[in-house]
Amino acid sequence: MASNVTQTHYNDLTPANKVSKKALNKMIWRSLFLQASFNYERMQAGGWLYGMIPGLVEVHTNKDDLALSMQHNLDFINTHPFLVTFVMGIVLSMEQQKTDIQTIRSVRIAAAGPLGGIGDALFWYTLVPITAGICGNLALDGSILGAVLFLLIFNAVQFAIRIWLMNWSYNLGTKAVSTITSNAKEFTRAASILGIFVVGSLIAAYGGTEVRIIISDPAINVQSLLNGILPKILPLAITIGLYFLIKKGWTPTKCIMLLIVVGIVGTMFGVLAGNSQAQDENGNPLPGGYTPLVEWYEYPTE
Amino acid sequence: MNVNIIQALLVFVVTFIMAIDQFSFLESLYQPVVLCPIIGAILGNFELGVVVGGAYQLMQIGSMPVGGAQPPNAIIGGIMATVFAISLGLEPSAEGVGAALGLAVPFAVFGQYAVTVTFTLMSGMMAKADEAAAKADTKGIAHINYLSMAILGTLFGVIAVAGLYSGQALGEALREFSLNFSWVMAGLDAAGGMMKFVGFAVLMKVMMSNDMWGYFLAGFAVTVIMSAVPSISGSALLLVSFIGLAIALADYQLNSKIKASAGSAGNGGMSDGI
Repeated sequence: MASNVTQTHYNDLTPANKVSKKALNKMIWRSLFLQASFNYERMQAGGWLYGMIPGLVEVHTNKDDLALSMQHNLDFINTHPFLVTFVMGIVLSMEQQKTDIQTIRSVRIAAAGPLGGIGDALFWYTLVPITAGICGNLALDGSILGAVLFLLIFNAVQFAIRIWLMNWSYNLGTKAVSTITSNAKEFTRAASILGIFVVGSLIAAYGGTEVRIIISDPAINVQSLLNGILPKILPLAITIGLYFLIKKGWTPTKCIMLLIVVGIVGTMFGVLAGNSQAQDENGNPLPGGYTPLVEWYEYPTE
Repeated sequence: MNVNIIQALLVFVVTFIMAIDQFSFLESLYQPVVLCPIIGAILGNFELGVVVGGAYQLMQIGSMPVGGAQPPNAIIGGIMATVFAISLGLEPSAEGVGAALGLAVPFAVFGQYAVTVTFTLMSGMMAKADEAAAKADTKGIAHINYLSMAILGTLFGVIAVAGLYSGQALGEALREFSLNFSWVMAGLDAAGGMMKFVGFAVLMKVMMSNDMWGYFLAGFAVTVIMSAVPSISGSALLLVSFIGLAIALADYQLNSKIKASAGSAGNGGMSDGI
């Protein structure tokens, strides 16, 4: 269980040799499958570990250490798929130095989080709209050139970035990590501060849980009342609540079960906001995202 | 439209691959501009497929799956738009294929349900991944990833082939179903949105100590403030990490200096300088 890694250091603390070029190339290839087992709980964790394995196997010749490393490499992670090799290179260089485990975990989440935003801006908001716009128009004129051009441009950019970032960040990390070992304890603390700061930030950036209840007469919008107290209050409260449950010994799976029940009961009574994507006869989305099973208040329809 | 078994099999295989490609592998094959011509070629009208792909692609720009929000699915949408354009014998022009795009929407919605269901199921599989990791079982981790891709590919393939055979009638039934049970899918959507908090809570358990709550809340607060400013909300996470970096570096330098001066003064009492 990822949350149960209690050991703070690897058993074998001798820094490993640099990993082979072959392993780095394998990691670049496997980085394409970062989102293979994407899920709501830990997002890209499964694909991340799959990508790290070729490097981890070379670095950790001690089998207990390999198990330890694989366990903590299943932490929640969400970063941009095309920029992930940057994080992989940094983390691999720390694994190679046998940096203490908490530092690796903190640096990983602190590096991964911000890249998500950069990547979205670079790729989904810039590269794809421009190339897809040009190529879509070519295709509308009946030319298959549109599809070919799109694939060529998109993948040339994607592979150039993946390959370059992996090599650059791994070399950079190897140089940087060896200089911090003299103040390792202080560095661990600083990394944890940055990590916990980023986790707080992620809650605000990715947390979208809201209450749906809007009563038109008298006009009451419960979510805007909550926003008046503290914006993103529900994501913050739920995360802190889950933190205490996990500290008490709840497994992540049990927490997920609880959330599924809360989610479905919540929408059954129209309490929680959720989008069913369903459309009515005229192709319009449903007011409030869905129709509750039990309708005890009138959702405004304007 | 008459569909033979070979065409149906080809559509299944192509859909299977594209379903995986939308999140993994090249993340570009699945775009309608590429996908629709392939489906068109399988069904015997390549030219119409190219045009539908162009039209769907232009419609799609601006609704990219970003930051966890999922629009109705472009793959099933693109495939079914091509199927309808061919079966209805539409004109290969921008105006001509418009009707097919509309008919495809209920299927695209169901494609999205398949994604939601897979992401929920795979949350449960993470416990299995933890077990495999504890045994240093690298193959086990690989298999979990392959299994997930297979589930997603199969669900998509089934929806596409069902759509291929039953067309508009099924579209109408699917639309009815999604209307009547909209609260169930909205519930899964709401639950899915909350599950990432479990991942955050596990990270907190790793890094949190009692003197860290201030940093945690500060990160939250700065991001809330930045998200409220439209012009910088897109780069909020990056800007926030700059601030976090400054705080962490200041702490590191302070504590390193305390340690150094404590050492030179021979003051062994200051153990870790916190």
